[in-house]
Amino acid sequence: MKLPTLLAKGLALSMLVATASFGFTEGTDYVKLEKPIANADKTLIKVFSYDCPFCYKYDKAVTPVIVPKLPEGLTFRPFHLKTKGKYGVQASELFATLIIKDQDNGVKSLFDEKSQFKKAKMAYYNAYHDKKERWDAGAESFLETGLQASGLSKADFEKAKEDPRVKAMIAEWEQSYDVAKVQGVPGFVVNGKYLIYTKSITSPDGMVELIKELSTK
Amino acid sequence: MDFFKNLWQEFKSCPVGTVAKWQDQRFLWLVMAAASIFLILVAHSLFQNYVYMKPCEQCVYIRFAFLCMVIGGLVASINPQNIALKIIGYIFGFWGIIQGIMYSIKLNKIHHAAHSDNPFGVQGCSAEPSFPLGLPLDKWAPDWFKPTGDCGFDAPIVPDGVELSSLQQWLVDFYADGWYLIPSQHLVNMAQACLFAYILCFLLLGAMCASWILKMIQSKKA
Repeated sequence: MKLPTLLAKGLALSMLVATASFGFTEGTDYVKLEKPIANADKTLIKVFSYDCPFCYKYDKAVTPVIVPKLPEGLTFRPFHLKTKGKYGVQASELFATLIIKDQDNGVKSLFDEKSQFKKAKMAYYNAYHDKKERWDAGAESFLETGLQASGLSKADFEKAKEDPRVKAMIAEWEQSYDVAKVQGVPGFVVNGKYLIYTKSITSPDGMVELIKELSTK
Repeated sequence: MDFFKNLWQEFKSCPVGTVAKWQDQRFLWLVMAAASIFLILVAHSLFQNYVYMKPCEQCVYIRFAFLCMVIGGLVASINPQNIALKIIGYIFGFWGIIQGIMYSIKLNKIHHAAHSDNPFGVQGCSAEPSFPLGLPLDKWAPDWFKPTGDCGFDAPIVPDGVELSSLQQWLVDFYADGWYLIPSQHLVNMAQACLFAYILCFLLLGAMCASWILKMIQSKKA
């Protein structure tokens, strides 16, 4: 075989291989967490904060697109990071309460229009990032924004947040910090073990492919 | 006037030798330190405190890079003829500049991603800052080095109940969409302006260092 033909064949073969597999690699596309998230098998966890512009961007255009395309059996779970943002602690309490409310109300997806969690989350994003609201009046005014958007009364919230399931969820979210420390937020973790490098994501479809590959690891 | 004329004449007749001589004197080093201090002060006192433009993560790193240049300039100007002090000056100067260039490029990418509908290709926002060598600068001097702004955004956010002076109000309106050299056109953002400043510093410090080395080689040959 002549050299040019050989080269051409080699090139064609390598292109075939390159297109057939996405070729995700540890260290560039994702990293194995030193401290895995406990009890997180078959999940896609998103660590986020209301006070992070890119979390808002992902929640507007990326997360709602990818979650319906996740492999069968993989559950999407948001983890709110309480250490970022002035009212991170209050936001975590309200978000956990509303996620449990959604569950009790039989809301199937946290991206459903009926989800009270979604309503509060988008209201905070919108207030903080679009309207530049900083709730200088204090924690009460911060809570007011989320309660109003989700339609939960202050009294109901005070009662519902004492639910052991809410408390357990908030305790579970403590693990967010170790994840966020690695490369910031939003942070997507597959099966509690593999953290996706947000920097390497180039499209929602590519992200779904990576999640698929990691979920079978 | 004659003084500058003479300087210019001297520079024209022998650029390398003149710059090599200048970097043996204090003033260039003091200019580097003073310019860097000036930029940090403008960022902190004017933009952060007076116009309520909170610094983002990369923005505080950029301050750190300028701080390195301040240290380099001050150390060298203790006695620029002392080789050890001068080398420390060059190391801090170049290190600050190179770090600064990298931070500026990153901030520019974040700025573009944050201001477009395509959030891909950048890392997002850190949970907390991490300075080179693990320096806890955000704990030591939070007012100067703790990122309180959102990554990629630097528009002024005036706290409730603050009475603005008319000048403050004008500046807040002027930079309402964030810092730009020409805000009405959204032309040259803060990251790009910093990048230009670092490149200029790199060229000047590079010329100083190259002249110094050339002069040393020449004098060894002679």
